[in-house]
Amino acid sequence: MTVRSIRCLMFALALALTSLPVAAKESITIAAAADLKFAMDDIVTAFQQAHPADQVQVIYGSSGKFTTQIEQGAPFDLFFAADISYPQALAKAGLTASAPTPFGTGRIVLWSATEDARKLTLQDLAKPQFRRIAIANPEHAPYGVRAVQALKAAGVWASVKPRLVYGENIGQTAQFVQSGNAQVGIIALALALNPAFAAKGGYAPIPDTLYDPLVQGFVITRRAAHDPLAAAFARFIDAPVAQAILRRYGFAGAH
Amino acid sequence: MLLTADDLAALWLTLKLAATVTVLLFALGTPLAWWLARSRSRWAHPVAAIVALPLVLPPTVLGFYLLVAFGPHGPVGGITQALGLGLLAFTFPGLVLASMLYSLPFVVQPLRHAFEAIGERPLEVAATLRAGPLDRFFTVVLPLARRGFVTAGVLGFAHTVGEFGVVLMIGGNIPRSTRVLSVQIYDHVEALEYAQAHALAGGLLLFSFVVLLAVYAGQPQRRSF
Amino acid sequence: MTDGIRVRLALRHEGFALDVDLALPGRGVSALFGPSGCGKTSCLRAIAGLDRVAGGFVAVDGEVWQDDSRRLFLPPHRRAVGYVFQEPSLFAHLSVQGNLDYGLRRAARPHALDAAGVVAMLGLEALLPREPAALSGGERQRVAIARALLGQPRLLLMDEPLAALDAARKAEILPYLSRLHDSLAIPLLYVSHALDEVAQLADQLVLLGGPHGVHSGPLAPMLARLDLAAAFADDPGVVIETTVGAHDDEDHLSRLDFDGGALFVARRPEALGQHLRYRIHARDVSLALDRPQASSILNVLPARVIAMAATDTPALLLVRLQAGATPLLARISRRSWKALQLAPGSAVWVQIKSAALLDGQNAIHVNTGCAAGGVAGR
Repeated sequence: MTVRSIRCLMFALALALTSLPVAAKESITIAAAADLKFAMDDIVTAFQQAHPADQVQVIYGSSGKFTTQIEQGAPFDLFFAADISYPQALAKAGLTASAPTPFGTGRIVLWSATEDARKLTLQDLAKPQFRRIAIANPEHAPYGVRAVQALKAAGVWASVKPRLVYGENIGQTAQFVQSGNAQVGIIALALALNPAFAAKGGYAPIPDTLYDPLVQGFVITRRAAHDPLAAAFARFIDAPVAQAILRRYGFAGAH
Repeated sequence: MLLTADDLAALWLTLKLAATVTVLLFALGTPLAWWLARSRSRWAHPVAAIVALPLVLPPTVLGFYLLVAFGPHGPVGGITQALGLGLLAFTFPGLVLASMLYSLPFVVQPLRHAFEAIGERPLEVAATLRAGPLDRFFTVVLPLARRGFVTAGVLGFAHTVGEFGVVLMIGGNIPRSTRVLSVQIYDHVEALEYAQAHALAGGLLLFSFVVLLAVYAGQPQRRSF
Repeated sequence: MTDGIRVRLALRHEGFALDVDLALPGRGVSALFGPSGCGKTSCLRAIAGLDRVAGGFVAVDGEVWQDDSRRLFLPPHRRAVGYVFQEPSLFAHLSVQGNLDYGLRRAARPHALDAAGVVAMLGLEALLPREPAALSGGERQRVAIARALLGQPRLLLMDEPLAALDAARKAEILPYLSRLHDSLAIPLLYVSHALDEVAQLADQLVLLGGPHGVHSGPLAPMLARLDLAAAFADDPGVVIETTVGAHDDEDHLSRLDFDGGALFVARRPEALGQHLRYRIHARDVSLALDRPQASSILNVLPARVIAMAATDTPALLLVRLQAGATPLLARISRRSWKALQLAPGSAVWVQIKSAALLDGQNAIHVNTGCAAGGVAGR
């Protein structure tokens, strides 16, 4: 290979490299509460059909943990919480670029992977056959707080409490039930509706009169204040496609 | 007072768990380490590798498999149910079992090294002085491996105190039963109770430092474990 | 056979085979002698039961320890055996007293050897409270020997107990071993590749690893055998048992009588009538046809040529002689053999180099002649 041909090659390479970033890809990272797992996956898939070149990354966890992490400067562009009070707290601290926006209402259900839960009521939980009952940790998980409210309102709190096990978030709570280590659990309707879970056991809704509404809310964080993709995703939540997905997963009756 | 009743319960539970695990690991780890140190069996290497697995595996792997194994369809769950013991997940015994697996290498490795350092000769001497196998173990091996036992006990205890991932995955966070100190700290942080988290986390930091200091200060010569 | 030691072993390692069939007396010191790697230690370990040799047979004093034809194999801790390893191997976690007690507490039989006597014989009184780490190499080995003895064995095995020690430590411990030899009522199997130790201590000699297989027999005749001389490398020689016959304080000499004449050596401290074992190297012995008249050589003995053998060095021959009932070996040149026209039966005068006997180096064993001391008995 001659010096000249190497030079030609380098030139071609340089040309190729400089021409690539013209269609610059954008990317955003979303922190989403664990109850949104399946709904948000579908929404992102729908969103990417309109934005095929852009990257949308979603991380699922507990709303409390994400709040702490955003306070400490975590690189999340949007935050979808299971309880709008978390984004509101961030807004109060001046860490957001948009007003906290409600996008749906979460519901809790009784779910079991090992037996038919469709006819279960909260009163049934008093029966000793349910040796372990999984709920999310009420100290920092919104679904856990609602589960405790419902159990108390149903008058079974005292008999159920010694048999409770606490998931770190609603996702882990569902996983305790799915593995059969807890016979029944109080989980998000959105999770019980996903096909993999629905194939097992079945679920029974818990009357929403027994607990405070779980207003789901999202916010654009301060670091994404001027990020067009973050703004586009926020707008997309209002789009009929996204709303249909949210309805399908039981987040109906938002706003 | 910075520590709440729940914090103190978590602290007590953690100490109880670590002590139980350490005692049981001595009973299980001593013969295992002895076998590993002496055996020329072709199984010695695979067994040594399995014992060391928790050193390299993320706790989530162990936690996940334990959760599956403890479940009603898992092998352990099948046995415990057949024995009328119910399921092990979310119970103190389940936590003990999981912690034993997780801390096993921290007990077995120092013991194994201590046994290997003794060598064959003192045992042969004892045998020619008419000490039988058990006699040899208690009058020669134990005293000569004393330092290894101290290291193993301290590390096994401290590592159990410091365990988080496995407990989080199979513990179910039950106060006074499976909510240990590390989980309590995590909960405080999640609930944005930083002052409480500081009190516990700082104490644990100090504890771990003192323990390691004691281990290193107790080593007469440089030895790795 | 109910007395003594019977050992039949077929040792097999990779590229190594040694068949041993020994019948040794139930008293005194039997030395297993041979070059490194000839199987001495393997043999000792098999006798103690530390290694299991297939098809072996071991019996001591009529007590069978191993008989594979009957599938009998006693583990080491069921054998009344004492074992002294090359390295002292004291228990580091026990004091000297603790080490001794370890053996004593697990004694194989009623205490035939009393602890105080053993401690005194090995000079350990002052060491009892010390830790092994604070002892010299020689002191440690003395403790190890005492520990083995206090286990009240029927058979004491020593595997090159001096090999790990320097010359000074060896010299320090040899007198203790000599005392042991004189006072011990149990047999001692002593492995060594050092001829001076063997010559000093052994009553019986077992040669291992020689070109002609395993040989065993009483020490003095074994050392004088021409056919085995190759086993002793470049230092063949004999031992003679003597009695102190006279002292001459003016010339600082002592006369040692033996069956075959008398030797003058540097003044000995022993009393008249004491037994003394002397080693005479073949290299120190020369031959003459006539009695030397004007010579500085002090020791001249009449003897008869018995046989001659070639050595590894072509210029040198080894000649076996007989002085009275005592065999001697001389190493002379091939030319001298021819010049003197020597042949079996020739009468010769044996001259022993004065320096060899006068510097005291060859007095190798002080035999008290009776089982005195506090450690006799069985």
